[in-house]
Amino acid sequence: MHQMNRRQAMVAMGAFLALAGCGSGDDKSDKKNGDDFSAKRDGAMSDYAVGKPFKAAAPLSFSILYNNHPFYPMKNDWLFWSELTKRTNVTLQPSVVPLSDYENKRSLIIGAGDAPMIIPKTYPGQEVPFVASGAVLPVSDYLDLMPNFKDKVAKWNLQADLDTLRQADGRFYLLPGLHEDYWADYTLVVRTDILDKLGLKIPQTWDDVHAMLKAMKEEYPDSYPYSDRWAIPTPGGAMMNQVFGLGSGVRGGWGFTTGITWDSNAGKFAYTGAMDQYKQMLQFLHTLVAEKLLDPESFTQTDDQAIQKLASGKSFVISGNAQTLVNEYRPPLKKANPKATLAKIPVPIGPIGPVKADSNDSRLENGIMISKKALESKNFVAMMQFIDWLWYSDEGQVFAKWGVEGTTYNKDASGKYKLADDVDFVGLNPGAPKHLQKDFGFSNGVFAYGGSTELLQSTFSDEEVEWQKVMNARNAMPPKPPSPLNEDEREQASLWQTPLKDHATQNSLEFILGKRDFSEWDAYVKELEAKNMTSYVNLVNNAYERYKKEHG
Amino acid sequence: MVTVDNTRGYRVFRVINAVVLTGVVIVTLYPFVNIVARSLSDEFAIRAGKVNLYPVGFTFKTYTFVASDPTFWTNYRNTVVYTVVATFIAMVLTTCYAYVLSKRHLRGRTFLIGAAVFTMFFTGGLIPNYVLISSLGMKDSIWAIVLPNAISVFNLLVMKTFFEGLPGELEEAAAIDGMNTYGILLRIVLPLSKAILATMVLFYAVSFWNSWFSAFLYMSQSDLFPVTVYLRNLIAGATTGTSVGADATDMTVATNIKAVTMVLTVIPILAIYPFVQRYFVKGVMLGAVKG
Repeated sequence: MHQMNRRQAMVAMGAFLALAGCGSGDDKSDKKNGDDFSAKRDGAMSDYAVGKPFKAAAPLSFSILYNNHPFYPMKNDWLFWSELTKRTNVTLQPSVVPLSDYENKRSLIIGAGDAPMIIPKTYPGQEVPFVASGAVLPVSDYLDLMPNFKDKVAKWNLQADLDTLRQADGRFYLLPGLHEDYWADYTLVVRTDILDKLGLKIPQTWDDVHAMLKAMKEEYPDSYPYSDRWAIPTPGGAMMNQVFGLGSGVRGGWGFTTGITWDSNAGKFAYTGAMDQYKQMLQFLHTLVAEKLLDPESFTQTDDQAIQKLASGKSFVISGNAQTLVNEYRPPLKKANPKATLAKIPVPIGPIGPVKADSNDSRLENGIMISKKALESKNFVAMMQFIDWLWYSDEGQVFAKWGVEGTTYNKDASGKYKLADDVDFVGLNPGAPKHLQKDFGFSNGVFAYGGSTELLQSTFSDEEVEWQKVMNARNAMPPKPPSPLNEDEREQASLWQTPLKDHATQNSLEFILGKRDFSEWDAYVKELEAKNMTSYVNLVNNAYERYKKEHG
Repeated sequence: MVTVDNTRGYRVFRVINAVVLTGVVIVTLYPFVNIVARSLSDEFAIRAGKVNLYPVGFTFKTYTFVASDPTFWTNYRNTVVYTVVATFIAMVLTTCYAYVLSKRHLRGRTFLIGAAVFTMFFTGGLIPNYVLISSLGMKDSIWAIVLPNAISVFNLLVMKTFFEGLPGELEEAAAIDGMNTYGILLRIVLPLSKAILATMVLFYAVSFWNSWFSAFLYMSQSDLFPVTVYLRNLIAGATTGTSVGADATDMTVATNIKAVTMVLTVIPILAIYPFVQRYFVKGVMLGAVKG
């Protein structure tokens, strides 16, 4: 009890400090810093460029916040550390934080002014609370030190994606991970043996899904053909986010977040929970519930319960991704019913047509914040070059993901990556005595992410590569434009967000489950308006207009 | 003659009492039995929801697997060391403070009590504490864990009340026989206070054994963490990882591994508890009745 309270206090404190900012309210006036880095070049390479491996002129060490994953707890004798030092002359000094409480500790030490120089594993949006205090660097000012980063942005045309990170001052404070292409993963996982038995094809659209579930219901009248997981703590977490959200262009579930969606037809932002597209998605899900095709418990049960229903043949369809399919669905199903087969179907095409990404998506991944005090270091330039090499160069990305050629992996004549025989990773070499993550420290979530599609897919199974091919053939809508709020607005917005979101989420479920009729939709929208929906949306739209005028 | 024991009402009460308490026991015991069963079960059986009260697909493999992780044992050792040192420091400080406070003739007593009680209601806040500990140079050392929480005000007050209940004549007699203050405390008072001491040791030891928060705040090397942080990361970390749907390459930790770690972490404190518990009731009750 005592500790619970302390923990809550900590979260509250962290949030408060992050908002209030306890750094030294630095002068933001010095726009594009004209400072020359002559005093900060110790150890840096004078001729560092794309395609050139980074090696510090003198041994350097940088402090880094390290997110310790329980599946591969950090070890000091990992090949990753020693090889990194050998190649770059840089030693990283990790400050180890358990993954379970990473965000809390990050807020705490940034607030206390005790943060390491490199703060990785920060998702886009999470850097915002630290902007006002001046505790983290506006990294967009220092991109000239990072040739690989700039090269990838230009080559993959990521400027619009990057713009989504910009704050009211037109700069951004997070070095995000960069993907060459969009990467969808979550979709419906379907019992393909049942499809064969019923003579059905793989469903492509929402209507196909509907028809498929109906056919399954006819064959097995006692079952709910579709029983979903990821209900706790966010009901419909995956279902309303990507699985059906991508087809409707709006995101519920995990993707609801601030509740604002870019309406590209109207050219402005709108409140997600009141949009027609959102209503369409709810109506579709309601139809499934009303016809007893979708298990109403999908919004309340635990993941384990949902998986048990699938494994025991009580349901045939569930949300999932490549990993859950292989690790969590197939093994128990195989045990219960060796003849059963499961596969991911392409994300069902909804009202907005075949897309692989809508305006809510970007090709950015979690990334790195740089502590303000790093700028005072005489090794600043070397550090930026090092970051650029390890996280953004082709060579660095291959190293972080696959390790050392000849030891952890080999490349065949066609350039395909292959794990060494005695090394396992994501089940590619089952039974091998060593593990790429646990024993060598590669493919570590802190260092290895993003990159080219080829590199991303190099660890995918053949069926997953096929699935990705189908998805990548679809169109992508441009990402939403930036609409950064200033500090006062952010505070005001956060006061409005929570009650709005609670009301929208609660009523979404009532609409889906039929407890509230769709004839009451207008009344529901009025209730949202009573909770300041219009003021909130106007706030965001004003910020969008203002940004366009000042920086557009 | 009708005694309380065999009135109708009392018999009814006893039946209801037994039923309710049995219910409480089952509710308390079930999660634990379930965890033990899971720790001895095959992972697939757990996933399929077959494991409840007894292991399915009995195996010791998970135990050998967890035991083969050196980090687990390093952290386990840390927990033992932190608990022992912290409990020792806490007992010395709390006993001295409580004994002093129990003397009514002490000048400034009200202020000393007030100073202690003040900290029950007001704290410096998280970040100032963090800055304080850092600037004292205690980060990444055992002192960050054992010193800041050395005196629990609640325990202090319980102990003070207990000392106040001891007959003052004993101490006076000892003083007349020529004993100084320390002699009185060590040879007269403490031997008479075994019950409360045992209770306090239990309170402190359990709370230090279970605590993870200060270690999480002040330690930045995994070989300095206590086993609770290890366990927390295993359980909470894996859950958040999947529920947010993070990187697809991230893997979750199997449920049977979590169960084994929980069992191994709980066992020592579970083994000590029954032996200290008999003092526990005596100690706290004495304080309560006579205070």
